Amino acid sequence: MESGDDPVMTSPPAPASSAQPAAVAGGPAAEVGARRAASLTRPVPGRPALILPAILSLLAGLYAGLVRAGWGLLPLSANLAATHGPLMISGFLGTGIGVERAVALGRRAGFVVPALTGLGALALLAGLPGPWGVVLIAAGSGGLVGASLSITRRQPALHHVTLALGALAWLGGNLLWLTGWPVYRVVPWWAAFLVLTIAGERLELNRVLFLSRGARAAFAVTVAALLAGVLLTTVAPAAGSRVEGLALLVTALWLLRHDVARRTVRQAGLTRFIAVAMLSGYVWLAVGGVLFAVEASRLVGGPPYDAALHSVFVGFVFSMIFGHAPIILPAVLRVVVEYGPRYYAHLALLHLSLALRAAGDLGGWWELRRGGALLNVAAILLFIATTVRGVRRGARHHVIAGPDGARPAERFP
Amino acid sequence: MAHRDREESGVSCGALQDGSPEARQNEVYRKLIRVMDPELGLSIIKLGLVYDMEIEDGAVTVTMTLTTPACPLGEVLTRDVRRVVGELPWVTAVEVRIVWEPRWSPAMIR
Repeated sequence: MESGDDPVMTSPPAPASSAQPAAVAGGPAAEVGARRAASLTRPVPGRPALILPAILSLLAGLYAGLVRAGWGLLPLSANLAATHGPLMISGFLGTGIGVERAVALGRRAGFVVPALTGLGALALLAGLPGPWGVVLIAAGSGGLVGASLSITRRQPALHHVTLALGALAWLGGNLLWLTGWPVYRVVPWWAAFLVLTIAGERLELNRVLFLSRGARAAFAVTVAALLAGVLLTTVAPAAGSRVEGLALLVTALWLLRHDVARRTVRQAGLTRFIAVAMLSGYVWLAVGGVLFAVEASRLVGGPPYDAALHSVFVGFVFSMIFGHAPIILPAVLRVVVEYGPRYYAHLALLHLSLALRAAGDLGGWWELRRGGALLNVAAILLFIATTVRGVRRGARHHVIAGPDGARPAERFP
Repeated sequence: MAHRDREESGVSCGALQDGSPEARQNEVYRKLIRVMDPELGLSIIKLGLVYDMEIEDGAVTVTMTLTTPACPLGEVLTRDVRRVVGELPWVTAVEVRIVWEPRWSPAMIR
């Protein structure tokens, strides 16, 4: 698109002078100079405290996962193994998404969401008697619904509605969990929460590709089918899981067909890494969808349940996390994460170990499943170690404006 | 795109008088084009996120938007803009305004 000879203006449809500032940043001359670099790595008070319960949930959830996989570790607490799913999904991912959404909103009230879910996760970890952990997490998920609706009100659009529906699925699942439903009956809701959240964000990003009306309609129908499947699981678990599985498969195929990662994978550095992580995650979402549909009647525990759930939660969700951590951590914690090719190591290990695990699940090879689960944990720990290294190196080099030192592309390849 | 040619050749800028408003706008523009959306690998200029730029003496005010209010990268892009523009020797202050009106649309991509 040509922009004329004016090197500065982007020709907004309305005069810029009519723009209403939503947030103003900036400052006096002291902003300029040596202090600028220092400000890039200055921690934001309060946010690390909100992230800490998420990290604790992740580590405890991984430990509980190993116990569940049969590694015979000391269970540390009586119900730790039973809290694996809630810790990973609500304690880690829910809190992380809450912080991300709060940072985007830029309002203090938004941080109540991750504070509540973080406290809830800590209550689960501490094994507090009574439903306090679940109550706090459910309250936090209600807050995320409010935050998401606030964004939808500000800019009504399909992608924002999808985000809000994802938050609503999380809340719905948590309320069922609060009333005593077992985790395996709540999992379809939690899967919808994460899949709709990620798919909604991708739909937003994919606007740069000028999606056709048909593609957007297909997306909307798939979201509706996914939610219909989730609702159906409450009265007919097998039928509901079958519908949800098919919707997950179609979501994956839609993303593989329409996602901008297909183009950005031809770029370089971090941009390419994110695209590889997303595209490989979509393959696992498709696998998870097929397993949800085919094994619908057996999704109450055991090997098929393990393979279906971890295809979605590890293969799809963690792949997305691996891809986006280098750009989300700077946004949330005000740190600089230096990217390097070594990031492919933990991504490759994640996919390889999950393939081993799923093969073990489906083939009845117990040791393969156990080994795959262990390597899943190793991949996530390697990711953490690589990210910490990237933060340390980022603090020294203050790399910005271009992934891996690359110049911005002039157009999509 | 004339401004891109200008940026890459570095010839036209040299024809402008140092310190003139046009020269300074060009300098800021060339800094802003380095700030990018890391996921798309595209500059905020290319994406049409920068709505306006005002320069008064050494004080630069950049008015920009994000593609969505759900995007958490506002602080990061704000810091990046402040940092790269602040590298210019004549800049004494940088202010970044994030606005939501007019709402960004893909039609603003350049």
